Amino acid sequence: MIWQIMKKQGLTLLRNPVQLLLLVGLPIILIAILGTALAGTMNGEPSAIDVKIAVVEHGDEEEQVNRFMNSIENENALPPEAVEGTQASIDGLMPVRTLKEDVFGNDDLENMVDVHEAAPSEHDELLNDDTYTAVIEVPENFSYDMLEYIVLDKPVQPELKISRNETQEIGGSIVKGIIQQYQEQLTLGTFLSKNGMNMGAVELDEESITGDTTSVDQKSPVTAKAYYAVGMVVMNVLFLASTIGSMAFLEKKIHVFDRVILGNMSRWVYFTGVLLSGMLLSFLHLLIVYGFAWLFFGVSWPDIMAFFTVTLAYAMAVGGIAVLLTAISYRFNSELITNFFSGIIVTIMAFIGGSFFPIGETSEFFRKIGNFTPNGAGMSAYLTILRGDGIPEVWHHVLFLGIFAMVAIILAALSFPKRGMSA
Amino acid sequence: MIELVDLTKRFKQNEAVKKLNMFIEKGEIVGLLGPNGAGKSTAISMMSSLVEPTRGDVRFNNKSILKNPAPLRKIVGMVPQEIALYDDLTAEENLQFFGRIYRLKGTELKRKIDEVLEQIGLIDRRKQVVAKFSGGMKRRLNIGVAMLHDPALMIMDEPAVGIDPQSRNYILETVKRLNEERQMTVLYTSHYMEEVELLCDRIYIMDQGNLIASGTKEEIKQILSAEKTISIKTNRLNDRFIAMLQENPTINQVIAGESEVVITVPKEVNMFPKLISLADEAELELNSVNVQNPTLEDVFLHLTGRALRD
Repeated sequence: MIWQIMKKQGLTLLRNPVQLLLLVGLPIILIAILGTALAGTMNGEPSAIDVKIAVVEHGDEEEQVNRFMNSIENENALPPEAVEGTQASIDGLMPVRTLKEDVFGNDDLENMVDVHEAAPSEHDELLNDDTYTAVIEVPENFSYDMLEYIVLDKPVQPELKISRNETQEIGGSIVKGIIQQYQEQLTLGTFLSKNGMNMGAVELDEESITGDTTSVDQKSPVTAKAYYAVGMVVMNVLFLASTIGSMAFLEKKIHVFDRVILGNMSRWVYFTGVLLSGMLLSFLHLLIVYGFAWLFFGVSWPDIMAFFTVTLAYAMAVGGIAVLLTAISYRFNSELITNFFSGIIVTIMAFIGGSFFPIGETSEFFRKIGNFTPNGAGMSAYLTILRGDGIPEVWHHVLFLGIFAMVAIILAALSFPKRGMSA
Repeated sequence: MIELVDLTKRFKQNEAVKKLNMFIEKGEIVGLLGPNGAGKSTAISMMSSLVEPTRGDVRFNNKSILKNPAPLRKIVGMVPQEIALYDDLTAEENLQFFGRIYRLKGTELKRKIDEVLEQIGLIDRRKQVVAKFSGGMKRRLNIGVAMLHDPALMIMDEPAVGIDPQSRNYILETVKRLNEERQMTVLYTSHYMEEVELLCDRIYIMDQGNLIASGTKEEIKQILSAEKTISIKTNRLNDRFIAMLQENPTINQVIAGESEVVITVPKEVNMFPKLISLADEAELELNSVNVQNPTLEDVFLHLTGRALRD
């Protein structure tokens, strides 16, 4: 008989296209929107920002570097050991090449930044070309002056000239930020060398100019699409619990439940039917949406066993919520609790659990609170798996979900009314 | 077969049913009549063991069912006032689901489904989802579900409410046929007097939680045996005419509608001359004056001063 109840719940859901669209379609749409819109805030995938830069060099850097080396050798401006040291690190002392190859050409920026080297004669034309985010002009003696500033402690630091395209505000700001940091790094290098510290510090810290990362241990960063796939699924499946609660309350309202009771069927059979329907449908819901996320957004699970374990535990917790909502609405003969759950509580739980943004990164307190919600615990477990961990690392979340499900089922059993209509 | 003894139900401050006593014998069709809010649904919910009474007892074959309702539940078919069906399932799927609740399975369930669909005239619609059914078809299926396990006692709570006359007749005929062919005992609640008059052997009348009359149709009508009812129709009634009727000592009761007034007078009194003179005096043109045999509606009016569908 329990199977009949589950079959009926499944058929009812399947034949309700609006409900299906809300439960399955909505999270997929949200994953696509949030995953794309917020991709730049997370590591691990191409950015939506596209920056095109022109570098116009008025001089020949190699010639300037050679000239500088000759001058320090001939003019005895430095002790012989310092000259030797400078010659040894000559590769790191070419500021324009460093900017083009190491800064704009690093792995994190090369997908975002397109660098075009141009001749000085093209300068005016480039300034009128709206496709460029910025034009960086390298003055004629820039590298020579920079080396004098760095190595010989000359007072004036040469500067690059940047013309930004005001119609590309975000891209322009990014270029400005990169150049600023580049120049600061060169200044830092001067400071270090003056104080007898390693000249290697002159080289740019490439890591420091990349965006935030969602990875805690840097094992394998989670992409925005993967993050929001998890966030939206764990949130949306909670609506399934309220849907099942509403369906069950309707059965009471239209006296179907009375028919069940008059059929001499134990109320616990009905109770178990609702519980197992909640679990099974949640499990299927999770698999379907994650399946879509895998097919269309490439969200894959490194440890499939761990994924199924967490999914099963989370489905149990959602089933527990479904039967608890059913029992309370039966007890008070009102659908208020179910509506309150879907209208208010799910949103709060989703917020605390981190479905909208990684709230746990803002404070330890929120992270802990979040992990005490079933969706938060589920989400933490899923993200841990996505970062490359396995069952041992998510076991405490699985245990929490199991305990949560048990508590919800016990509370539901205590609240479930004894007879059909009487509270 | 089944007996209610001083059955009372209190919901917070409201006493929905007050010391109700009634019985139903095997093979009878018993009507439970009363306006909306009279306490009929609460009474039958207690009778069918769905609601626990505050006081009193429900006895089935001389045994209380309050502690052990299983024997009664086994033989009861319940047709609630609401359409207790799944809109998104087909007629057949609904019958399958409820049939399984009654522990029917396999070929027996299949046979019963065919039989019931035949009886309620929905055999050709078995694969159609209930959401696409008309109101009358839903009502018929609502009854069909209660018939699946061949109940000895069918409790029907306003089973024909809100449907077209054709569907209503179909339902009434089905109930009659079940009673005649299978000796099915039926408790039929309604606020449609004509349904109860047509179907029932005995009638209980409830109002505001109280049982106000009971007996066979004839016995109940006997309440008005010493009186007759006269219906007076005019283009438009005026207050003066009604006041004059109310002041007349011969007239026992005056119930005024928009263009019709019904009065109750002793059987031997000839009211025609008096009515004509009163209408003249009130400057009223009479359209018709009819003397009627008392109906159950008249009895209800007589007992409560209100019409059943007020």
